[in-house]
Amino acid sequence: MRKNLSFRDFDWVLLGFTMAIAALGVLQIYSASLNTKFADATTGTPVHIKQMYWLAAGILVMFAISRIDYHLLLENAHWAYVGSIVSLLAVAAIGIKILGAKRWIRVPGLGLFQPSEWVKLVLIIVLARYISSLNQKDVTWPDIFKAGLIAGIPFLLVVKQPDLGTSLTYLPPLVVGLFLGGIRFKQIAVILLAVAMVVPVAWKVALKPYQKDRLVNFTHPENDPKGSGYQIQQSLIAVGNGGLFGRGVAGGTQTQGMFLPVTHTDFIFAAFAEEHGFVGATAVLLLYFIVLMRLIQNAQTAPDRAGTMITMGVVAVLVFHILVNIGMVVGMMPVTGIPLPLMSYGGSSVMFTFLALGIVMNIHMRRFVN
Amino acid sequence: MADTANCRSVICFFSQFQLTKNELAEMPEQKKKSTRTDADSPSKSSRNSKNSNPKIRIYFLAGFLLLWLCAIGYRLVVLQVVRYGEFTQRASRQQQRTVEVSPRRGVIYDRNGHELAMTINVDSVFAVPSEIPDQANAASLIAQVLKVEPKEILAKIQGSRNFSWIARKLDAEDSNRIRALSLKGIYFQKESKRFYPKRELAAQVLGYVGLDDEGLGGIERSFDEQMRGRPGKMLVSVDARQRSLGRVEKQPESGQSIVLTIDEKIQYIAERELDRAMAESHAEAGTVVVQNPHTGEILALASRPTFNPNAFRTSTPQALKNRAVSDIYEPGSTFKIVTLSAALEEKLTRPDEVIDCQMGSIMVFGRKVHDHKPFGNLTVSQVLQKSSDVGAIKLGLRLGDQRMDQYIRAFGFGTQTGLELPGETRGMAKPASRWTKSSIGSIAMGQEVGVSSVQLVSMASTIANDGVYTPPRIVAGSIAPRATLQTVVFKPAQQRRVVSPLTAVEMKRMLEEVVLFGTGKKAILDGYTSAGKSGTAQKIDPATGRYSATKYVASFAGFAPVAQPAVTISVMLDSPQGEHHGGEVGGPLFGRVAQQVLAYMNVPHDADVKNSQRLMIRASAKQSDFSEGSPDRLSGEVDAADIVTAETSATPAITPAAAKKEADRARVIAASFTPAKQQTTPAPQPAKQIDTPAAAPVPTPTRGTVILDAGNGPVAPALLGKSVRSAIETAQNAGIEIDVVGSGVARAQAPAAGERVPPGTRVVVKFAR
Repeated sequence: MRKNLSFRDFDWVLLGFTMAIAALGVLQIYSASLNTKFADATTGTPVHIKQMYWLAAGILVMFAISRIDYHLLLENAHWAYVGSIVSLLAVAAIGIKILGAKRWIRVPGLGLFQPSEWVKLVLIIVLARYISSLNQKDVTWPDIFKAGLIAGIPFLLVVKQPDLGTSLTYLPPLVVGLFLGGIRFKQIAVILLAVAMVVPVAWKVALKPYQKDRLVNFTHPENDPKGSGYQIQQSLIAVGNGGLFGRGVAGGTQTQGMFLPVTHTDFIFAAFAEEHGFVGATAVLLLYFIVLMRLIQNAQTAPDRAGTMITMGVVAVLVFHILVNIGMVVGMMPVTGIPLPLMSYGGSSVMFTFLALGIVMNIHMRRFVN
Repeated sequence: MADTANCRSVICFFSQFQLTKNELAEMPEQKKKSTRTDADSPSKSSRNSKNSNPKIRIYFLAGFLLLWLCAIGYRLVVLQVVRYGEFTQRASRQQQRTVEVSPRRGVIYDRNGHELAMTINVDSVFAVPSEIPDQANAASLIAQVLKVEPKEILAKIQGSRNFSWIARKLDAEDSNRIRALSLKGIYFQKESKRFYPKRELAAQVLGYVGLDDEGLGGIERSFDEQMRGRPGKMLVSVDARQRSLGRVEKQPESGQSIVLTIDEKIQYIAERELDRAMAESHAEAGTVVVQNPHTGEILALASRPTFNPNAFRTSTPQALKNRAVSDIYEPGSTFKIVTLSAALEEKLTRPDEVIDCQMGSIMVFGRKVHDHKPFGNLTVSQVLQKSSDVGAIKLGLRLGDQRMDQYIRAFGFGTQTGLELPGETRGMAKPASRWTKSSIGSIAMGQEVGVSSVQLVSMASTIANDGVYTPPRIVAGSIAPRATLQTVVFKPAQQRRVVSPLTAVEMKRMLEEVVLFGTGKKAILDGYTSAGKSGTAQKIDPATGRYSATKYVASFAGFAPVAQPAVTISVMLDSPQGEHHGGEVGGPLFGRVAQQVLAYMNVPHDADVKNSQRLMIRASAKQSDFSEGSPDRLSGEVDAADIVTAETSATPAITPAAAKKEADRARVIAASFTPAKQQTTPAPQPAKQIDTPAAAPVPTPTRGTVILDAGNGPVAPALLGKSVRSAIETAQNAGIEIDVVGSGVARAQAPAAGERVPPGTRVVVKFAR
C-alpha cells in the first residue's frame, strides 16, 4: 500500500492556494523593491526573480520530500535533533556575526546557512514523535518537563544568538503538541502561573534594551517616532494610507518612498495593504485562512497520531508566523523580525515552508492507508 | 479549479465551525461522562479521551485562529477604513514638503550682449552618514580633494544621521574628483551658482552674490530684486532619505536680465591701461571712467585694486570698493574747468583777456596762496594751460560765492549723480552759506571740495556735450527672462544746460590748448585731437587732518576728438610714487585709453596720423610742463599764520617760516583782492549773442542705442566709388563700422552692398592706391 502512492492523492488544493499567496508575494516583492538597490539588475539578480528561483526550488523539494515516508523521518528524528543541537552549538562557536547577531555559519561552497530555521522543522517532528509516543490518557508533569526540555535547549541556544523572534517560533509546536497531547487545564493554569512569575525576572535579566524598547513601544509608537517606534509608526501609516482599495501596484507612497523599513521582507504585508487596500489585505487573510484550515483538515484525516501531531506542529509554526507578522504590521504585536511565510522574500523561509508542506503532503497522501 | 477548491474549503470550514459549536455544546456532557468513566476504568477512559479530546482540541485551535484573524480584520477596518483620512494625511505630511525653488538669477550683459554675469549649475556634495561604511576614511579622502582638514569633514559627517552638507557649490574639477572616489553615502545635488566668465573684468560694477544668491555689491545689489526673480513653490514628494520622487511644481520666475551700457572691450582697454599705469606709478589705487558725453552712458568703469567676483570671499574690503563711485578726493586743478566755464558763461572774462598773475602769489581774505611757479601776465587761456592758481582765484573772486556755488551744483557736484550703483557718494560741496571768506579762493582751484570720478567725468562731458549736463547711467535697460535679445531703446535722462554752446566751444578750444601747449602734453593722441585738464591734489593725512607732503592724487579729465567728442575719460591715481603730477601720470593713461577706445569705436581721424609735430610735442614734454596749481604751498602753518595776521593787522605779517619761503622766491607780491566787477572791465557783450541757456538747443543724443538683436541687423550700404571720408560717413549713417584698407576710392567691399549683417559686423572696404 505504501508503495502505491500517487500524485492523484496529492493535495492540489493546498498547493494551489499556497502558490496563489506566493505569487502575490512575488508581485509585492517586485513592487516594493522597485526603487531600491534590490531591484537593480546591474548589481545582481533582482529580488523578485531570486524569490521565484527559491519558490521553484521549494516546490521541487516539496515533491521530493512528499515521496519519503514520514515514518522514516520520525524514526530518525533523534539523529536530526542531535544534529540540530550540534549545528546551533557550531553557530555559537564559529558563527558569523552580522548586524550584531551571530546566526549564521559559512558552509563551504554554499554560502551562509542559518541553522535555526531548520531546527524548527526538526523540532516539529521530534515533538510529534515524543508526544504521540505517550500512550497515556493524560500528559504527566514529567512528560511536560521532557517536552519542554526538547524545545527548551534549542530555544535558549537561539535566544543567545540573539534571535528572539526565531526562538519564539519553537514554542508553538510545543504548546500545540502538549495541548493536543491532552494536557489538563489545571496543568495549564499552573504553567501560566509559573510563566507569570518568571517573565518579570526574564525581563530584567535576559532581554536587551532594544528588545525591551520594541516590546514596549508597539503599544505607544508615538512615544519614540524616530527610534524603535519608527517602524511601527510607518507601518501603520502605510496600512492606513491604503484605504479601501489601495494605492495600486507600485503606487504606495510609503512603500516606494522607503519610509517603510524592509518592505520586501518583514513588512511586506504593510506594503501589500498600502498598495491593495482593505480589500486586498482581507483577501490575503482569507487565502491564509483557507490554507491553514486545509492543513487542519489534513491533520484530522492523518493516518495516525504522529501524523496529526506533525501537521498541527506545522500549522502551529505557520499560524505563529502569520499572526505575529501581521499583528506587528497592524500594531497589535511587537516588532520581532519574523517573516511572513510564502510572501516575505527569503530563501530560508521559503525552503522551510515548502519542506514542511512536503511532509504534510506525504501525510495527506497516506490518509487512506489505515 | 481555484474556484471550486475555494468553495470546497469554505464549505469545509463552515461545516467544521458548526461542528465545533455542536461539539462545544456537547462538551460539558462529555466531560461529565469522561470524569465518571475515569473513576470506573482508567484504561477505557484514556482511550476515550484520546479519541475525542484531540479532535475537540483541534477545533478549539481552529476557533482560536479564527478569532485572531477576526481581530486582525477588525484592526484593518479601523486602520484602513475608519482612520483612513488621518493616515493619508500623515503619509502626505511626511512625504511632501513645500520647497522653495530658487529662481534663476538674471544675466548681466554688456551693451553688445556679451554675458558678464550668469548663473550656472554646479554640484553640491552632501552625505547620508548612516550609509557611509567608514566615515573616517571617507572624510580624509574628501578632505584631500577639497584641501581642508579631515577633521572638518568628519565633523560634518558626524553631525547628522540622515543628511549633512559636505561642500556647497563646488567647481567642476573638485566635484568630478569627489565623484571619481565613488564613495558610498556621498551624493550630489545640483545648485545654481553665480559665475562671472570674465573674472575681474568690471568686478566692482557687477558686484557679487552670496551663497543664497543675494546681491552684495554693484549691479547685483542695486538690481537685486529685479534680477533675483520670484521663487517657485515646489510640492516635493520626498522619501525617507529626503530624495525627491515625483513633484508638483509651480515654476519659479526667473529674474530679469540687466543690460549695461558698459562695452566689454572698452572696459578691457580701460582696465589693462589702468593696471599698466598702476604698475608704473606704484599708485595705491586708481580709477578710469569712460563715458559717452552725449548720452551719459558709462562705457567703462575701472577701479583698482580689484577682485575676482567668483571668489570674492578671499578679497579685501579695499578691493571690493568701487572707488570711482564711492570715493571722493579733492580734484585740484581739474576743477578750474568749473571756475573758468562759469566766468566765461557769466561774461566776466574772455579767453583772450589778460590776467595779471602777480608773479605767483595772491592774498585771499587773509590767506596767502602761491602759484607753483611765478607767472606774470597770462591770458585766461594760458591760465588754464599753465594751471595758474592765482589766475583761477582771480576769476573765482569775480564770480563770487553765490554764482560759484550755483555752477558747482549745475555741473553735478554735491549730489549723487544717480548712477545705478550702490554706495554712491554725494561728494563734498558745502553750500555757499557755510563757506568761510577764503573758501572761494580754495574752491576756485579745486580745494575744499570733494568729487568722485563719476562726477568728474560728467563735468568733462558737460563741456564735451556743448554745455548740457547729462546724468551718467550704467544700466541700459532690463529684459525679460528667456526673451530673445532685443534692442533696448535709450530714453534721454533729465538733461540740463549748464553753460551755453558758445562757452562750451570756448572751453573745448582752451582745453585742447592745455593738451597741446600746457600741462596735458602727454595726452596728445595720434590721429585725433584731444582736450583735457590735469589735476594734482595733496591728500589730507587722516592722522593729522592736514595736507600730506608725500601723498598726492593725480587726475586727468578730458575728451576726444575735440570737435565731435566721442568719449569723455577721467582717470585718477591715488598716491603714485615719485612722479605725481596729474599731467605726467594721468595724461599718458588718458592718452592710451583714448587712443585705443577711439580706434575700437572706429571714430574717424580728425588729425593726421603720425603727425610728427604733434608727436614731438608729446615726446618733448618736460616735467616742468606738468606742474600745476597744487596746494603744497598752502601748508597748514602758513595758512593759519596768515589768517591770524589778517585778523590782527591790515598788512600781512610774515612769519619766519613763511619769510624764508618768500625770500627764496624773491618776487612774491602780496596783494589784496578787489571784487571782480570793479577790477576788470567786462567784455562788451555782443548784441547778437542770444545763446541763453534756456534757448540753447539740447543736442540730440547719438549712439544711444544698445543693439543686442542678432536678427535684424543693419544692411551693408553701397560704398564702392566713394572716398574714404564719405565711405565712413555713409557707413556710420547705416549704423555699420568699416575697416579701411588702403586709401583713395573704394574698389571692393565685403559683405556686399544690400546684405543684412549682424550688429557689430565690420564691413571691410578696400580702397584703390
